[in-house]
Order: sequence, then structure tokens, then C-alpha cells
Amino acid sequence: MNRLARLKFRTKIVLGISCIVLFTVLAVAPFVSRMTTSALVEESKRRGSALAENLALRAAEPLLANDLLRLKNMVDELRAVGSGVVYAFILDDQGRVPAHTFTGGFPVELREANAPTDHGVSVQLIDTGKERIYDFAASVIVDGVALGTVRIGLSRNLVQQEVRRLLVGMAMLAGGSLAGAIVLAALFASGVTRRLNVLRRHAEEMVKGNLEMQTGDLLSRNCWEIMDCTLEECPAFGDAGRRCWYLAGTLCPECSGKHFPEKLDSCRVCPVYRENRGDELQDLAETFDVMALTIKSQIAELRQAEKSLTAQQQIMRTILNVTPDLVSLLDAELKYQAVNVAFADFVHLSVNAVQGKTDFDIYPPDVARRRVLEHRAVLETGERIQVESRRTTPDGPRWYHTVTLPVRGREGEVVGVLRSARDVTEIKSYQEQLIQAQKMESIGKLAGGVAHEINTPLGIILGYVQLMREDLPEGSPMAGDLAIVEKQTKVCRKIVADLLGFSRQAESAKIEMCFNNSVRETVSLVEHTFRLDKVRIVTVMDDRMPIIYGDPEKLKQVWMNLLTNARDAMPGGGVITLRTQLDTPAHLVRLYVADTGSGIAEKDLARIFDPFFSTKAVGEGTGLGLSVSFGIIEDHGGEIRVESPVPETFPRALPEGGEGGQPGPPGQSGQAPGIGPGTLFIVELPLTHEDKIAKPRIES
Amino acid sequence: MFSSLRARVALLALILLALVLFGAGCGDDEPVRHVDLTARERGGPRPDEHVITYAYLPQYSHTVSYRRHRRLIDYLTRETGLPLRQVFPDTFDEHVKMVERGEIDISFSNPFVYLRIAKSGARAFARIVEPTGKPDFRGQIICRKDNKAITSLEDCKGKRWIAVDPSSAGGYLFPLGLFADHGIKASDFSELAFAPGPGGKQEKVVLAVHAGQYDIGSIREGSLGVVEGKIDLGQIRVLATTPAYPGWVYAARKGLDPAVVSRIAGAMFKLDMSRADDAAILGAAGIRAIIPARDGDYDPVRRLAERLGLD
Repeated sequence: MNRLARLKFRTKIVLGISCIVLFTVLAVAPFVSRMTTSALVEESKRRGSALAENLALRAAEPLLANDLLRLKNMVDELRAVGSGVVYAFILDDQGRVPAHTFTGGFPVELREANAPTDHGVSVQLIDTGKERIYDFAASVIVDGVALGTVRIGLSRNLVQQEVRRLLVGMAMLAGGSLAGAIVLAALFASGVTRRLNVLRRHAEEMVKGNLEMQTGDLLSRNCWEIMDCTLEECPAFGDAGRRCWYLAGTLCPECSGKHFPEKLDSCRVCPVYRENRGDELQDLAETFDVMALTIKSQIAELRQAEKSLTAQQQIMRTILNVTPDLVSLLDAELKYQAVNVAFADFVHLSVNAVQGKTDFDIYPPDVARRRVLEHRAVLETGERIQVESRRTTPDGPRWYHTVTLPVRGREGEVVGVLRSARDVTEIKSYQEQLIQAQKMESIGKLAGGVAHEINTPLGIILGYVQLMREDLPEGSPMAGDLAIVEKQTKVCRKIVADLLGFSRQAESAKIEMCFNNSVRETVSLVEHTFRLDKVRIVTVMDDRMPIIYGDPEKLKQVWMNLLTNARDAMPGGGVITLRTQLDTPAHLVRLYVADTGSGIAEKDLARIFDPFFSTKAVGEGTGLGLSVSFGIIEDHGGEIRVESPVPETFPRALPEGGEGGQPGPPGQSGQAPGIGPGTLFIVELPLTHEDKIAKPRIES
Repeated sequence: MFSSLRARVALLALILLALVLFGAGCGDDEPVRHVDLTARERGGPRPDEHVITYAYLPQYSHTVSYRRHRRLIDYLTRETGLPLRQVFPDTFDEHVKMVERGEIDISFSNPFVYLRIAKSGARAFARIVEPTGKPDFRGQIICRKDNKAITSLEDCKGKRWIAVDPSSAGGYLFPLGLFADHGIKASDFSELAFAPGPGGKQEKVVLAVHAGQYDIGSIREGSLGVVEGKIDLGQIRVLATTPAYPGWVYAARKGLDPAVVSRIAGAMFKLDMSRADDAAILGAAGIRAIIPARDGDYDPVRRLAERLGLD
């Protein structure tokens, strides 16, 4: 059976049809042979009977007339003319043989071998030893009286020869039929297998992804040719590859608007369908084509959808990855389903490595436990949790604002947790700086009030000291002491006056003012204090006395900020170089403020003017000074910028013992401080009137 | 497993079917009889049969003759105890000659033939009563009904005439006499033919006229009834009927034992139409009765023959 199953389909068809034909021939041949033989024998018997009856009729007259010659002629003629007639003879009513065809006497035994019956001719098969003969006996009857009997012998061998001839013919016919059946079966099988092979190849091509093949045969006449159709907008028009009954939306009036196969009901009476429909194999091939087309279009749609989905996924991933927040999605079992790049970077793993892991796989046990508790709480309650937490990182402590949200399924059930953590360290810092600024503002106001209160006693002290000096002679020790007291009191009063001036909430009022004086006044305000901090101020003023249009108080605040900044940059002391420069061609006046401090890191340079940016320890600076200064200069139409380290080309005063630069004034240096790369602030302000430029003069 | 079993069962069924069909196609059960053809019989002289031969003038075919007279002969054999056998001469002439040769003992012939056999010494001893009830009979002249050219005997001149036999009474002698009475001689016809023998001559005349081979035909009265069923008698017109002459006659050959003749005649005369058995015998023979006769009864015929120069 297996061997049979392995045979080719074509061989099976040929073998099957050959077997059917062979079986039919083998089964039918003996039957037909017997029937034919029987029919031939019967025919032979009928012929013999007819001959005998005819002879009996014709023999009546000569028998009555006892005309032996006529009787003899009759039997002889019969033997001569009738093929297969072996003998013929006539018996009279006395049993005598008036005529016979035998030579050498009448065979005695033959007389009794057969006799007519009451029903007519009697047929008896006799065997002479040499051959077999059908003996026919018919009565010669006149008026109901038997005048005699005629007997005819027909050779059975002749019948058998005829039968044999017929059988040979039948055998040849059967052989021919078998050969013809094999040839026809081969042709038929070839046709069927060819079409099946086309289908198979098409299926293989489909497996490979090629859906462009045409399996069904092309039509001799297409639907638009049969229907004389000119509707070019019909989907079937011009489509020779597909049968119109597979296409929806064809425009023939008889077509139903349904899709295949429901559409077929209206097609069965259509002349196009009746002319072009094929057998089951053609239907299969055409259905195959339609299937391929359908698959193709569906694949195209799927690809389009996939592309669109991929694009959307890409966008989503990009959004997710670009955001600095740590975003993660956990399933109901609290395993990470998806995380963004920021999260993966945070836990020092790749995005793919995080997937499928739990918090215990990623975090230290205590952190993981806390997170799992939060996540469980969200899963169980379905409510969001929002916390701010502080974490220690290698880069220092960081603050995170974490939102944990439930992810809901179709039925509204919680199926996961979305966690988003945002680094709010900067905002936190700003908050702290704001608090500090508010504190400083309060202190400033307090200091202003204190200064105001102190100013009156200082005036009284100064008045009395001066009165006392007038009472004392010049050069007395007491007078010298009082002079010192007076001097120091004046210093105090100036400090107090400056404090009052700085803390005064004055309205912005721009006036024409001397740039150099503004700088100098500020320097004199802080010079004393700075010296106590071992900071020396060297001023190099442009002696052309540039006049600008500006708010003296605000500009003084700028200079104050720059100087304070410089001092703070040199905690161990140092030199601040102040240089003013009039740039007539550019209509600008510049102020350079250079220190000998540690300088500013390059990464901080860009943020130096940002509000609340400070490199100082918390509580030491508000981070507002430079920001406020930037705003004031900008308000004056000028520009402020910073360079660090101080360029070599800038002539910077250095502490004593330092190298290069312009030496500071003698007697103002304390202990030699360290020399750093320093920071250079450059302030540019526009000139108001060129003609206000005075003659150059140098001040120190 | 199931499909394999099913396939095997199907294969077995096919083989069985083939065997059954093959078996049905074989076999030869016809009974055979063995015959030795070598044992031959040599023809020897047939033993002399002492039978009284009876012959009916062959105006009809032998079978008709046989059919008509078989019962009568059987009756006579039974009645007289004499071995009677009907013989069948082929022609009228042969009949006459057989009587002359003594091969026919009892002759049943027409009056005209009787005249010829009477010359050889045969003598009439009985005559029949025709179905018409008369002991004499007539001849008829017939033509086709649609033959408009012949409406009277005179019209027959120059026409083709077929008669039964030169020895026929009703079929030739009587009509010839009728023509002679109307002044028509045998030579006045364009053709005078006689029905070809042997036997069935009356029928042949009717058939020849019906077929149009001859314009007129002459038959004995009653012959048309013999061919009824063979042809459409409506196509035949009886143009004329001859005068009646004495009917058919039984004659004994010269030299036949008068006792035998007497016994036969007696048996014949005993036949009575009123008896059913006899009626069957007489009816088959076309005879109403058999009555005694003498040679002199046939003188009118003898005279007619003489008149026509046919004696």
C-alpha cells in the first residue's frame, strides 16, 4: 500500500484506468463470449430451422408427386448453397429416404438420431466422431398430416470458427481499448497533473512569498468581449487574469453586489459564467489566484499597519527615551515589562536586560523592599502614589519626585504599575536658595535699620570727639588719640552710610554719571573690609573720564557684586584688578574685574549668570548676585561676560611674590596669598555723549 | 488500518466478482448424440405394393389436391377395406397417360379429360354434385374489373387469352364453345396461352389476369373461391359464364376389377351431406354428393369437342 501511495498521481490514474479496463475486459469477455457464442449458436439454429422448414414446405409437392428428382435437387441445392450444411435428406411417411446428399449410401443411424416435435423443428446436437453437427428435423405437413420429414445437418465447427473469429476480434478490440485507455488515461493524467503541478508550484511560490503568479488559464474571450462592454471603470474590465465572478463591485446590470461566493447565485445564468466556467480544477486554480490576491492585499495592509505601528512605537520610544525621567512599566507580578533609557542608565543595565527583572534583581534589598511595597499598594488600591525622596548617588545626594500609577486593563482591572521618577534636585536647590535670598533680604532690611539707628550715635560721637579735639592743643597725645577716634568714627559712619545706601529701595533713575567715580565709590566702600580679608584692590582708571547714562545706585550694586564675588573667590586673600577703559570707536566703556582666585570650572561658565546658580556652600551665597547684575547691565543696554582663567594678555595685578602682571601699590599687600588662574568679568556699557569725555588722568 | 482493511475487502470483492463473471461465461451443457455415419444403407428394390391408385386431375396444386381428397380416400379405404393411395400426376396429359398405362386405377377428372381416357377404355361410374347443388358445372370468362376495353364477348377479339389447359373443360373447352357460339375462333385472339404446369392451373389463370399479364382468362366456375385471400377478387370481373355441362366424373381404368369399382362406388354413394362426418369429407373435396354415372351422360361434352374439332 505504501508503495502504491508513493506512486506519482499520473501513474496512479493510468494504472487505475488500465485496471478498470482490464477488469472490465476480463470480467465481461467470458460473459460476452458466452452470450455471443450462444447468440451465434441460436442464430445458427434459427437458420437451420428456417432452412429445414423451408425445405419441408417445398418438399410437400414433390413428396406427394413422388418426384425423386425434384427432391434430390432440393437437398443438393441446399447443401451447395447453404454454407455449413453438412447434409440434407428427406424421409417419407414410411421412413424411407427418397432423397439425401450422402454419397455411398445413407447412414442408417442418422435416421433415428432426431425427429420433429409437435412444436415444430427439433434441433439435436450430434457427434459423428469427426465433428459436431446440429441436426434439424422438420415435418412435411399438408392438411395436418405429416407426409414426411426433412433433415438438415449444420456444422457446429463452423459456428465455433465464427465464434473463435469473433473472440479474436473481441480480444483485439479489448487490447486496442486497453491501449487506447492507457493513452487516453496518460493524456488525461498529464492534463490533470500539469494543472496540479501548476497549483503546487504556485503554492511553493506562495510559501516563498511570491504572490504574483497566475494559476488559472487565460480565457479565449473575456467578459467585456462577451458582453460588448465598454465600462472601463468596472473592476473586471481589462483584468484577463481573474474571472469576473470572483470580483466584487462589477458593473453588469445582472451582477449582484455581493462578494464571492454569494455572488455566484446571480452568475449561474450569466453568459460569461456559462462560457468561461471550468471544471473543479479550474475553479480550484482560480480560487487559488483569488486567495493569493486576497493574501497579498491583506499582507500589504498588514505591512502598512506594521509600518505605522513601528513608526508609532518609534515615536513613543523616542519620547520615552528622550525624557530624562526614569520611566518603568511593571506587570501584575511586579516584573519590569518596559523601561526607558534613562531608567536603564540609572540602574546601569541595558533596556533589554531590565525586562523581566524584579526590583530585587536590580536594587539593594532595602530599596527594593520599599519599592515593592509601594507597587503592591498601587496594585491593590488602584490609587496613585506621589512621593519625593532623597537618594545618595556617587554624584552627591539627589532628590526625586516619584509618581506611581496603576495601569488598567480593558475591564478596568489593575494589570500593572507605571512608575515615573523625576530628578528635582535643582528645583529643590532653587527652593533652598529662594529661602536663603528671602532670609538675606530680611537681614539687609534689618542691617539698614540697624545702620540708621547707629548713624545718630556715631554723629554724636564724632561731634563730641571734634569738640574735645578743639579743646586740646595740637600735638598732645590726647589730641592724637582723639584724631584716631575721629578717623575711625568717620570710617564707621561711611560704612553705615554705604549700608544705608545699598539697602535703600530706590527707584531706578538714570542720569548722566561719571563711570570712574561710580567704580571708585564702590571700591572705597569695600576696600577697608576687603583688606581685612587680605584682599587688595588695584584700580587702573581710564583718565578720559567717560560719562555714561545710567543708574548710579544700581551700577554700584553691580560693581559691589563683582567685587564681592572676586573676594569670595579668594578665601585665602589675593588681588583684585579693576580697570576701566574707554573704547571710543565702539562707543563703549569697559570695566574689567580680575581676581587671582581659583577660577571657574568650564562647565559652570555658561551657567554663571543663571539665577540661583552658585558654587558656594549653602548659606554662603544666594546665587542671585550675578543674575541681578546681568539684568542691570542688560537694562543699561550693555553686556557682561566672564572668562576664566584670566587671559595672559590681560595685565593683572598679582600679590607680592607672584609673577607677571602689574605690581600693586606698595604698602597695601599683606601676606602673599596663592595665585590661581583667576576670573575676569568684563562689563561693557554704551557711552552717552562723546563730548563729555574729559582729559585723561590717572588715579590709583 | 481501517482504510487498509477496507481496501483489501474491496479488492477481494472485485476478484470474486471477476471470478463469478468469468464462471458465468464458461460452460457447454448441450446434450450430444453420437451417430456413426459409417454404417450405410444400400438402396434395394422397393417391394411391390398392391394398392389402388386414386388420382385427381391436377387442376390445382398437389397439396390442394391432397388436402381435398385425403379424407375421401381415407374414408374409401376404411369403408371398402381396399388399399387406396392418392397419386399426383403433374399435368393433365400425364394424368391421361397414367390412366392409359394403368397407373391410375380411379380417375377423378373433368368431362373433357374423361373423353380422352374413355378412348383408352376407362369408364365412368360416378359423377359429383357440384357445391351449387347441380350435377353439372360451367366455365367462366374473367377480366380485370378496370379493363374498360372489354365489356362483351365480342370485345375479346384480338385480346390476350389465358386458359387453364388444353384439356381443361371448364377452363378451356366450355369457354371456347361459348366463343364459338359468338363466332369467335381461337385464332381470333392475339394470344392464346395455357397456365404453366404442374398443378394449380386454375389459380394461375386468375393470378395472370389479376396481374394484367393477360386481358381475359377462362376458369371453371368456383375457382375464384380457391384464390380468395391470395388476391383481391374485387379486381376481377366475370365477363361471361358458359352453359352448364355434366360435372366431374369418376372413371375406372380399363381392366380394373368391376367388384372393386362396385365397392368403391358403393362407398361413394353412401356419403351423405347430412351426416357430419360425411359432410366434412365431401366439404373438403368440394363435392356435394357423388351419384352414379354412365358414359352416355357425357355425350353433350363429346359433341361440343367434336364441334370444336378437339376430340
